[in-house]
Amino acid sequence: MTLSFPSTQFDDAVAAVCHGSASEGEMRALNELLRSHGSARDEYLLRVEVHTRLASKPDLFPQSAQAAAAAVLPDLSLASRRSIVFSKPQMPAGKRALVRALALAACLALTAAGLWGFWLRRSVARNGATSSAVAVLTRSVDARWGQKTEPPRVGSALEPGWLRLKSGLAQVVFYSGARVVLEGPTELQLVSTMEAVCPAGRLLAEVPEPARGFRVKTAQLNLADLGTAFGIDANSGRTEVHVFKGKVLLSAGTAVKEALGEGRAAIMQGSAPPRLMGASTEAFASMFEFQKRSLAVETIRYDQWRLANAQLNEDPSLVVHLDFETLSYSDWKLPNAAEKNRSVPDATIVGCQRAEGRWREKQALEFQSVNDRVRLAVPGDFQALTLSAWVCVKGLDRQFNSLFMCDGFEPGTIHWLIRNDGVLGLTVIGPGTGKFQILASPPVLTVGQLGRWLHLALVLDGKTRQAVQYVNGFPVSHQTLKLGPPFCLGSAELGNWNARSGPNPAPTLIRNLSASLDEFELFSRALSEAEVHKLYTEGKPEPDL
Amino acid sequence: MSADLTRRFDNSTAAQQRFLSLFLRSEREIFRYVAALVPNVPDAEDIVQQTALALWEKFDAYDPSQPFTPWACRFALNKARQWIERRQRWQALLEHGLAEELAQRRQELQPELELRLRNLEACLGKLPQGQRSLVEGYYYERAGVEKLAERSGRTTAATYKMLQRIRHALQLCVESHAQPESA
Repeated sequence: MTLSFPSTQFDDAVAAVCHGSASEGEMRALNELLRSHGSARDEYLLRVEVHTRLASKPDLFPQSAQAAAAAVLPDLSLASRRSIVFSKPQMPAGKRALVRALALAACLALTAAGLWGFWLRRSVARNGATSSAVAVLTRSVDARWGQKTEPPRVGSALEPGWLRLKSGLAQVVFYSGARVVLEGPTELQLVSTMEAVCPAGRLLAEVPEPARGFRVKTAQLNLADLGTAFGIDANSGRTEVHVFKGKVLLSAGTAVKEALGEGRAAIMQGSAPPRLMGASTEAFASMFEFQKRSLAVETIRYDQWRLANAQLNEDPSLVVHLDFETLSYSDWKLPNAAEKNRSVPDATIVGCQRAEGRWREKQALEFQSVNDRVRLAVPGDFQALTLSAWVCVKGLDRQFNSLFMCDGFEPGTIHWLIRNDGVLGLTVIGPGTGKFQILASPPVLTVGQLGRWLHLALVLDGKTRQAVQYVNGFPVSHQTLKLGPPFCLGSAELGNWNARSGPNPAPTLIRNLSASLDEFELFSRALSEAEVHKLYTEGKPEPDL
Repeated sequence: MSADLTRRFDNSTAAQQRFLSLFLRSEREIFRYVAALVPNVPDAEDIVQQTALALWEKFDAYDPSQPFTPWACRFALNKARQWIERRQRWQALLEHGLAEELAQRRQELQPELELRLRNLEACLGKLPQGQRSLVEGYYYERAGVEKLAERSGRTTAATYKMLQRIRHALQLCVESHAQPESA
């Protein structure tokens, strides 16, 4: 078979190649023609390009995309609400294949590094509930670890188990708020958010009010903290306890508890009664210095963030800015710091624990119980939106963990959440009833990110019909928005969802977050990638490492 | 765990995000590059998936001062070659250096292709409703030709032929738009 150009045979052969139905004979003939005939080759390339653009540009079909969303998706009656699951992101087949490819790519690369199995085991063992971590490793200097398994890395959540620091310094913050600096060689067993065991080594602990009652055991004694700072120097035969602030309760075996006050130290050896002396800061000098240095770095970062915020608050498109700067136990208001939109009401805190934010002096709210939430009202219609939040996720306990969710399923609203498989989910509810679109990112949150501060952002551009999600300033998913503006948010919640359902909501309707939150912004425009990245760099907890 | 592995572990999340960001931005271009060689859509997507894996594995070697897409396309060409080698029909189409020749010529024609095809959306809008829904069914919904044939009451062969005619009409339309103003 030979082909000439131009000819109907040529036309048919090119079409058959595009459809994948060409015979071997046709393909061979086409090969000969294209190699010898320049204009045939250019014409071939143009035809193929028309075909591949149609296949790779879903935005060529904006109207039908919208119509299809309405036609294909189920009616949003009350009965079908439970059917909102994220198993099938509504996007063109090509895009779905790509997301699969990326998830696969990430898996394979990790397998190559031998790590995926480790992550998988950890998450499978915990059956998706990742809240068994009790502490987080926040900082280290020249740390060498003697772990049998993978060494912990800064920022990683720590589950109950052993930390074996061979040399160097490391700081561990328990979820109760207790901070412990270790100096190697030290072995520390994390038992719970309130308890640790230190058979050998040196540590310096600082225990704020909420963690009062924090306990440390050594071979010789049990120590219960009464709101203090103390140091321990322990080995198998002897334990020294130095109290620098407040007081602690000591007990050995069944003996009576003994209080040790500020500036005092006790040495326990064998069965002899404790020997008392003055506390010595020199013995813990390096750890004090380490603490001081970390505090200084934190203060600088905190100040830089406040400086950046002063400018940000002047942005007229900033509709809501909750900076969590004026939290108090008596006040349930969370003021809106957006200077140009002072008329947007302050948010209201319901439940929630006061917690530490990205820096020691920064305040945050911790969401844990099913009732914890921050309620806010956002008046107006928007053609575009950007949402930005700093969040420290403790665990993905629910199928859907709410970040920002408008009440119920009102037209023009959105639900922004984290799925328990680490996918960032977004539901956009269309202007008419019964239309909604589910946009899911690839699984971007991993076990290793639990317990560390993350910047999450969502940009919805009604004009270009693009939805982009970001993690730590980098886009992790670009998707086509099938349902257009206006977005009318109205009443909404951070960290929870008011489903407006009956008294016994279905499990999928319980969507409370298990995390701390220390900043939230809402803009009435689509921020560019550079702007989102800037929000991240200005707010990230640590300077560039 | 070796020090190297530890470093990879530390950096993997950030690297993954950087990679995703770059790849998502280049994804369509990589697809079109591959599809110039293997125009059948599911096959081209298959190759793009394999390319994504290869890129992520070699991401350490990527120099961020260089543009990502050309770097990625080099991997895509390799993956396409490997894919073609195992398929006799496609080998018949792309043997004797035609694959490389097509890839290169497409690069050269890129500006012209952009110019000619910039009105594709407008031309799509001018199609009669029946043709438009066929194009959408095939390219957007990715419904199979059998299903589309059934939907429209045509035979499979007639449906293929109709798609070919529609593409031809679109091509004529974009070319008439691409004429210089003075012509």
